[in-house]
Amino acid sequence: MKKLFILLLLAMALPAMAQEVEVTSLQRLLEGVEGPAYYPVLDQAGNRLLFSSEEGALKYYDMVDGVTTVVTRDYVAGNDACWGGDGKVYFVTQEVGEDHLIYRTGQSYDVATRQSAVVTPSQHGAVRAVPATRGGAVKAPAQNYSSSGNIGEAAWAEGSRVHVTVGGEERVFSPVDSWAGYLWASLSPDGKRVAFFAAGKGIVVIDLRGQVLAMLGNYEMPCWYNNDYLVAQNAKDDGHQFTSSQIMLLKADGTWQAELTKPASMALQPTCGGGKIVYTTIDGLLYEMKINIYQ
Amino acid sequence: MKKIFSKSMMMALLAVFAVNVASAQVPHVYINPGHGGYDSDDRNMVIYPFHQGDSAGSWESKSNLRKGLALREILQKKGYKTSISRVTNTTADDLALSTIVSLCNQSGADVFYSIHSNATGTSAVNNFPMVFYRGYTGSPQIPNADVLAADLEPYLYASQTTVWTHNYQIWGDWSFRPEWGTQGYGVLRGNRAVANLSEGSFHDYIPEAYRLLGLQYCWMEGWNISLGADKYFDRLDNFAQGVISGNVRDDRIKRLQENPQPFIVYGDDNLMPIHSATVRLLDQNGNEVQRTQTDTLRNGIYTFKYVNPGTYTVEVTEPSHFPQSKTVTVSANASTYQNFYLKRVRDTPPVVVDYTPVWNEGDPAVKCSTPIILSFNWDMDSVTTCDAFTLDPPLEGDFKWEDSYYRLIFTPKDAFDVNTLYTLTLKKTAEHGGGTPMDEDFVMSFYTQKRNHLTELAVFPYEGAPVHLKTPTVELRVDSMLDTYNLFQKLRVLDSEGNELAWNKRSIKYNKNGDNYGFVRIPLTKNIEAGKDYQLILDVDIADTAGIHLPETRVINFKGVDAGAEKPGMQVVEEFENADDYCNYLEGLNSVELSSSTDKLFGSKSMQVTYEFTKYLGSVPRPVMIEPKTPSDISFHPGDTVGIHVWGDMSYHKLIVSFSDEIFGSWGVLLGTIDFHGWRYMEVVVPYFDEIGNNIKFNGFWIELGEDPMVMTGTLRFDNLLKRASSGINEVKLADMKVNVAGDYIVVSADTWVQGVELIDINGRIVKAAGGNCLNISQVEPGVYLVRVHINGRTATQKVVIK
Repeated sequence: MKKLFILLLLAMALPAMAQEVEVTSLQRLLEGVEGPAYYPVLDQAGNRLLFSSEEGALKYYDMVDGVTTVVTRDYVAGNDACWGGDGKVYFVTQEVGEDHLIYRTGQSYDVATRQSAVVTPSQHGAVRAVPATRGGAVKAPAQNYSSSGNIGEAAWAEGSRVHVTVGGEERVFSPVDSWAGYLWASLSPDGKRVAFFAAGKGIVVIDLRGQVLAMLGNYEMPCWYNNDYLVAQNAKDDGHQFTSSQIMLLKADGTWQAELTKPASMALQPTCGGGKIVYTTIDGLLYEMKINIYQ
Repeated sequence: MKKIFSKSMMMALLAVFAVNVASAQVPHVYINPGHGGYDSDDRNMVIYPFHQGDSAGSWESKSNLRKGLALREILQKKGYKTSISRVTNTTADDLALSTIVSLCNQSGADVFYSIHSNATGTSAVNNFPMVFYRGYTGSPQIPNADVLAADLEPYLYASQTTVWTHNYQIWGDWSFRPEWGTQGYGVLRGNRAVANLSEGSFHDYIPEAYRLLGLQYCWMEGWNISLGADKYFDRLDNFAQGVISGNVRDDRIKRLQENPQPFIVYGDDNLMPIHSATVRLLDQNGNEVQRTQTDTLRNGIYTFKYVNPGTYTVEVTEPSHFPQSKTVTVSANASTYQNFYLKRVRDTPPVVVDYTPVWNEGDPAVKCSTPIILSFNWDMDSVTTCDAFTLDPPLEGDFKWEDSYYRLIFTPKDAFDVNTLYTLTLKKTAEHGGGTPMDEDFVMSFYTQKRNHLTELAVFPYEGAPVHLKTPTVELRVDSMLDTYNLFQKLRVLDSEGNELAWNKRSIKYNKNGDNYGFVRIPLTKNIEAGKDYQLILDVDIADTAGIHLPETRVINFKGVDAGAEKPGMQVVEEFENADDYCNYLEGLNSVELSSSTDKLFGSKSMQVTYEFTKYLGSVPRPVMIEPKTPSDISFHPGDTVGIHVWGDMSYHKLIVSFSDEIFGSWGVLLGTIDFHGWRYMEVVVPYFDEIGNNIKFNGFWIELGEDPMVMTGTLRFDNLLKRASSGINEVKLADMKVNVAGDYIVVSADTWVQGVELIDINGRIVKAAGGNCLNISQVEPGVYLVRVHINGRTATQKVVIK
């Protein structure tokens, strides 16, 4: 029965062997262990997976030893959490104050010691965790935090700007017009390119000087599969709810793309690491996908 | 120890820092005008004069943006920080749901408003505000989302520029859409702000769609949402100015219904919004503070923005109406509503400018169903006008006003009397809406036709009819072509508990041009029950194409029966399984087709006879005569009962069962008239004759056209023919009946009531018939005939010789 189920899932994922990509495996994660799970984030090695549970707790799943651990039960902490290059989890918690303003606190979590630490004080406004190759950062209106003096390379979006830190130098680019703003900036594994999403324009790939290398189409939530390919979400809606959603494989130079799942798969929020792709579905089912790309 | 100290010191410093940061902040509101562009998912309401897809028309995406931009402007003026997901109404700006949520999260907003309007998506028409948050009702996923909603909705619902049908509603989206599970609305999913999705009103309520076209109305919704935000952040005292808004309508003229279909309106939305009215805001010294104008988009909305608190006069002027002023008081950061109902300027007396029916001496008479219609130059006062209306001779009727009191329609409760000269006088006391009477009386006359009601020719089921249980067919025939529009709704069949039985509307048949009479024929969808009582109701509204209706509503009682039920004591004589066993005796005279049918009561087949009468040498058509090729072995005797299962088509043709004997040859007994649809069990008793033979055999059927035929064609089906041997009781004994041929008359005498006498020639043709027991034969050719006598629903036949 289980075998049949997996076969059905493989049928939903596109067997694109005749083209340039093959889905070699598709596996449900945490089946029977966890309820609905959203916002999955793989670490760079693809061994650990952050996710947000339905009730809002931030957890991580050690895919090697199969153990799930709660990072925090603070609500919505998992929505934008990230793995730092130092192996720590960087995340933001929030509270609604008596004045009804929202106060957000930057925190880190050491997987080894299972200890959390407040790294930016509770403050009003936009507070966000940023992964970096050697650690992590928290960007906040009143006080930023960096895990060390040299956190390596990092990229993040803010308004209609993309920030790139290279060798301790921060560069700010606005290479395409986007009135509503940029989202989901990330560095390629080799640190030579940045991909981000410009609202109304889609996914943009730039070099470290801010030059546009490719426009990959109006997909969301891009993540680098490797130095040459990205994985992204292609969701459609009617203004109220999702009507379809699938996972796409995009060549970073904009010359090729392929569907990894069908639109009816309702697959969302892809993340990449260590040659794996993990995504969730509209009803919170986590899947791990492996692919072969034929050049 | 040092480490602990450092950590504690750090936390204390962070706490102090947090307080300082918080005190300097203002609320940040993320605004999401829902949808975007002019695409299929952008909710285009097609309202006059705009066509489907016209970007100038009503689009939810457009009004959402106008509300959102207004909210942004107002909140910025009130000192808020704002972000907005779009500023144009284009497809490119219609951002995906995940993108909107992520932009909001990245902005660090405190609250999120997704701005929409609603639609029922059904034929129901409502108008009320709703707001949603993520989670179950009363249990939001993001704390305080229910508080934000509760703070918003009273301000939306307080609007007096619209017409609400219900109180506002607040829902958790998981409770409202349980079929979506916990997926909920996309812009609330994963949103870290305290988020609401507001459906400010219903854009499929057509008057609301016109209001949402107006910039000032959309601005007011943005203002009201800002008040909700102020309430939530306890900032109601932070803004010093208020607003005034209202609706300018005519005080009695009804709004135009120019849409393709008339639309539902509630309350004040029945009144005509006034276009291009100038609305001025005057201070207590009469100085103009602001001036605005209602638009030409059928909404009548005006709004004065950012008004300092105080007492003002709002003055409305429009050339075709009398001006009107009202005093209003404006409070800081609050909405003041003031609606206006303007009286129209009517500067001439009312007159009748057109009327029907127009009739002059010598013109054709007017149909008795024709309503009287008077059209006026002004909208009229209904009370004085109806009081001034007199008809001679008097007739009870109903008044109806159309076109905003410009047109009066008088319809008789029943119909005008036939062949009558009517005179209508509208006395000059009739006034228009402004109170001015007519200068002189209006008088008109007309003469009516000789027909004022539909005449019912036939109906099945008729009163007391036994109706076979299998999906009975109902048919009504009248003397002119029926108006077929929604005709099936004017006939109803009720069971004994008053439940209405459903029609099989796909099988309905109506009259068509060229038919001899008007009719409707329609079967029920389901079987009825044997032994149960039913009613067929024919509404008085059943009318012909000229509007002439039935004289009254008719209630016809009938009973469900099983025509195929077992008949104890009966012997099967003939099964009619094979139509080839029979033949058309008078081949070549009428068109007759014999076949086997699967519509049967017994066995596997019934015998079907399809026929069409043709005139024989220009005279009355001969009967259709169906005979067995080989007579049955079973003999009958006078007094035996013959039972036959017959399927009829309401042809009103006469069905005669034929016998033969060795003395008299072939002769027939009237079985009955085919005045029914479906199967029926019919019986007749073999009569006594003076000269009858001993070896009486069933010899088939004769079908006669009848005296006043409605149709020349018909179809009959026959199934098991039964025999019950005579018991000698209650039979027509011809020995007790005397047929006397005396001079010009045949006179029948019997010991019971004789209903009628028919004279039949040797070909089976009825050459003369009369009710009662006497038949005049003075004009009948000499010869051998049969006399058929009807007694108590049965018949007896005897040979006579007329010399």
